[in-house]
Parts: sequence; C-alpha cells; structure tokens
Amino acid sequence: MIDILPLLLMQALLAAVPILLASLGEILTERSGVVNIGLEGIMLLGALMGPLAVDYLHDRAGLHLPDTWWPFVAMLAAALIGALIGLLHGYISAYLAGDQIISGVAINLFAAGAVAYGIQAYWGVAGYKQVPEWAKADPIWVAVFAFVVAGVMWYILFRSRLGIVIRACGEDPESAFNMGVDVNKVRLLATVIGAALAALAGAYLSIAYLSVVTKELSAGRGFIALANVVFANWNPALAVVGAFIFGFFDALSYWLQTLNLARYEITRMIPYIATLLIVAGVIGRARPPKAVGKAFRRE
Amino acid sequence: MKGLLLPLLNTGLALLLAFALGAAAMWISGYDPVLSYGSMLATPLSDQTYLFSALAFSAPILLTGLTFAVGLKSGLFNIGAEGQAYMGALGAVVAAYLARDVLALPLAVLLGLVFAAAWSAVPALLRSWRGVNEVVSTIMMNWTAYWLVIMAVSTVFANPLQPEESVKMPEAARLTPLFPGTDLTLAVPLAYLTAVLIYVFLRYSVWGYRISISGQNPTVAKAYGIRPEQAVLVAFGIGALTAGLAGVLQVAARPPSYSLARNLANVYGLGFDGIAAAMLGRGHPIGVLLASVFLGILQEGARHMQIEAGTPFEFIRVIQGLLILFLALQMLRKI
Repeated sequence: MIDILPLLLMQALLAAVPILLASLGEILTERSGVVNIGLEGIMLLGALMGPLAVDYLHDRAGLHLPDTWWPFVAMLAAALIGALIGLLHGYISAYLAGDQIISGVAINLFAAGAVAYGIQAYWGVAGYKQVPEWAKADPIWVAVFAFVVAGVMWYILFRSRLGIVIRACGEDPESAFNMGVDVNKVRLLATVIGAALAALAGAYLSIAYLSVVTKELSAGRGFIALANVVFANWNPALAVVGAFIFGFFDALSYWLQTLNLARYEITRMIPYIATLLIVAGVIGRARPPKAVGKAFRRE
Repeated sequence: MKGLLLPLLNTGLALLLAFALGAAAMWISGYDPVLSYGSMLATPLSDQTYLFSALAFSAPILLTGLTFAVGLKSGLFNIGAEGQAYMGALGAVVAAYLARDVLALPLAVLLGLVFAAAWSAVPALLRSWRGVNEVVSTIMMNWTAYWLVIMAVSTVFANPLQPEESVKMPEAARLTPLFPGTDLTLAVPLAYLTAVLIYVFLRYSVWGYRISISGQNPTVAKAYGIRPEQAVLVAFGIGALTAGLAGVLQVAARPPSYSLARNLANVYGLGFDGIAAAMLGRGHPIGVLLASVFLGILQEGARHMQIEAGTPFEFIRVIQGLLILFLALQMLRKI
C-alpha cells in the first residue's frame, strides 16, 4: 500500500492536468463576467482537432516536419479551434447579450455531434481512433505547462493592473466602463483564451494522456472543471489544489479497477460521486464574481 | 399573434442557417448534401411506415424535452433527463425481471418513475439545501446512472439468450404497435397527451403559476408569498416523471426488442435530444411537441441518409447543435 502511493499520486497529477487547464480557462472567463458551460464540448473538439489536424497535415497533405514538432502542431490546432468557439461564445455573450447558458449548452450539443461525425467522416470508423505514436506528447510537459499557466494567471489576476481590469469587468462592469475600460472587449478576449485552454485540456486527453480519440473522451471532465472553479473560489492557485483532488479520484478509480476488487462500473462512478460530495461540501463559502453571466449594456 | 411572429422568424432563420452550414460541412467531408438532405427529409414524409417510425422517435424526445422545459420555466437548467431516462429504463427492466406476466407493465411504470424521481431528488435537494448549481450536479448524476445501469444490465438483469441486451418485457406486458408493421405504439399518444397535460398544468394550476413566477422573478415570487425553492423542487419532480416515463417506454413500448441494450443504445442521448427539442420549442410544451416531431423526422431520416447517401447518422447531432447555437444568437430582435 505504501509503495503504491507515489505511483497513485503521479497518476493523480496526470489526471489533474485536463481539469486544471479547463478550470483555469473558466476562471479567467468568469472573472471577466462570462460563464461558459460549453467547456465539455470545447474539450471534446480539442481532443478531436489535435489528432485530426496532424493526421491531415502529415498523411494527406504530406507536410514534412521534424517528428518532435507534431505534438506542438496538434496542441496549436486544438487551441485554435477552442479560440474559434470562444470567439463565438464571447461574441454572443458580450456583444449580442445572448443567453450565455443556452449558448454553452448549444456548444456542448454541437461538439458531441461534430466529434462523433468527424471521427466517422474522417477516419471511417465508428467512434474510436488510436492516436499514432509520432503525434503523442509527453504528459509531463503538458503538466508543467498547466502549472506555469496557473502561476501566471494567479499573478495577472491578483498582482497586476490587467488583473484589476479583468476582475472589475466581472464584479462591477459599470464602474470599469466609467474608468475607460472596454468591458465587452475584455470579456471577449477572456472567453477566447479560456476556451483555448479548455481545448488544450482536450488535446492533452487525446494525444498525451489516453492516446485515443472517442466521442465520449472528456467523460464529464468539463463539468468537473466547472465544479473545480467553484471549489477554488475563482482563484487559480486554489484551482491547482482542487484539480489535484478531483484528479486523485479519477486516478483512484482506475487504480481500483486494476485491483479487481469490484466491477469496473462501480469504480468508474467514483469521480462523479466524489465531485457531487465535494461541491455540496464547499458551496457555502464560494463567492462568484458579482456580474458573472450578466450582459453589460451601456444605457 | 404578433408576439409569435418574431420567434417564428428567428427559428426559421436558425433552421435555414443550420442546414446551410451543415451542407457546407457535409460537402467538405466528401458527402453529397443534396442526396443526404433529400433522403433525410423526403423519405420519412413520403412513406407511412417511416412517418410512424419518426413519430415513435419523437415520443421519448418530447418527454425528456418536457423535463428541460418545465425546469426552464422555474429558472432551472435541469440537464438530468439523460440519467433519469436511464433510471426509468432500469425500472422497467427490473419489473420485467420480477414479473413475468401483464403485471410487469404497471410495475415498470411505478419502478421507473420512482427510480427517476430518486435520481432527480439528489440534485433537487442539493440545490435547495446547499445551493449547489444543478448543471454540475445533474451531469454527475447522469454519469453515475450511466455506469450503474450498464452494470445492472450486464449482470443481474442480463438476458442469458442475448448477451447484448437486458431481460425482455414479458409479451403480455408490452405495448405493441397500433398499426401492424410499424413502430407506432401507445407511447406516442401518451407522450403527446403528457405535453398537453403539462401545458394545462403550467397555464392553469396554482403550482404552475408558482413555477412561472419563481422562474421569471424570484423576488416578486417571494413578495407574493411564494417560496421559489419549493417551486424548483416541484419542477424537478415533474421533470423526473416525464424523463423516467421516456425510459420506461423505450423498454416497454419500443418494438422489436422490448429490452434495454447493454450499451444503453435505446436510451443514450435522449436527454440531450430533449434539450434541443425544448430550446427549439422555446420551452412551451406545445412548442416542444412540434419540435420533437421535427427532431423525430430528422432521426428517422438520418437512418435513410446513412443508407442512401453514406452520410454518418451522427450528422443530425451537428445540425441540432448548430440550430441551438443560431437560436441563442437571436438574430432578429425587431421587425
């Protein structure tokens, strides 16, 4: 039991990465005043687009690149599709003052269909595609990247002028506007960056962590990330702690599976039940940004 | 009538754009949009058997759509219909396992509704006691139900003769096709009747009024002496009953198998189709009914599209997502 602990913690770290990246993105987005519940869908699209883009460039377009570059290309492609969806959601939320929850739900529905369709249409297989060896990324590097993003985001949000501007847009957009801030522009950009991070989380799942693309690859992790945002009280530093806890239950579920103590269906429930319990336990002390989810309109 | 024109125009525009963008996506991925749309829309409408099959598809979508629509009325984003439908189907399977005669049918309805209600009680109580956001909690319940029901139909309730499905409904307890050779069973009129009942309930009953006011403005509701938390609980409860019924009927009233597939294929995705129907129908029970018939036609049509044009079935989920996205845009705000 004791010698398994380092391994389990390592597994927890690897399982924490996608939750951390997606929660960091959502923290930035919500701090600026936009809520994006389409994280799950954006993750899925990133998980598909990473491998699909490199497969296309490598096999069909015949592009020659050093082998070590391909994982970066995949990550970049995922980030781009995420940014594109973020642009759409940000534009609907900020400039059109549309319903942010409905837009987020639509992103999830669209992504679920697009990924299932994309796998079938591009590879001609029903819902399951192995990622080729040359496109795989080392999960440790992505983990390091995620921690750096957490640090940078904490610094920007709480120790820089830019952070005050972003948080003002989410807390009191009227005052931010009176101070000369273009509230909707800040919100749009924060949503774009947030969605790009969620898509990177998805690409991590497909090219680094699980090495496969399926139509259920994200398996609720986008919503666990939303739970982590609440757990972390919209603070990137606490999001690291939260992601590790949520990741731990994910890793625990796989580890128990290998022990054959119970049917794997039971162990697969663990992350979801744990998330429910954690959210129910911490909810009282969480305080969301005051203007989150509300469109800002100048009168 | 004037208030209806703008939403109708917006819906029409969203439909047009979703299909246009869908055609572009199809063309890029190497399929023939004209042939695909042709077989998707024309086949179900040109043949009575296929049309009835489309209506059979519409029934569970309508019921899960009502879950979301009633939630929306009370200010909830209840996306738990997916898991509650799994639990409803599990209830029917348990009933089929326990009773081997006509009694299995009432037992299926009873157990299915109880299971679904229990599943919805967790997010409902978490919301009213602890203020837990229902979006996250219902999704967690959906995934928990997914694994629980898969385990149940792979073990105790597995069909020893057909490993890919659960025990079947006893023949005496099945709702068989109203017209031989079609898929149209009593499930369809039952679902449509449910929509009408919910419309009447929301429009004319005291609780319906409480739900609407709480959803529109909780502060005003409180000023009237209405407790919004209670209205939310009622909305969760009604939603669980319709979603649970959807699951029950997919087992008890869906030819030819009258069982639950081991990979949950005959209930998987119902909750999300329901969300699409509820949004397309603008949360109005009768609107959801019309939307579910439309989505049912798409579902039936997609089977023919896959056969005749080779375009993957999943394409209709792309269309649904685009459609809701364009609806969220609210492109026309004034006429």
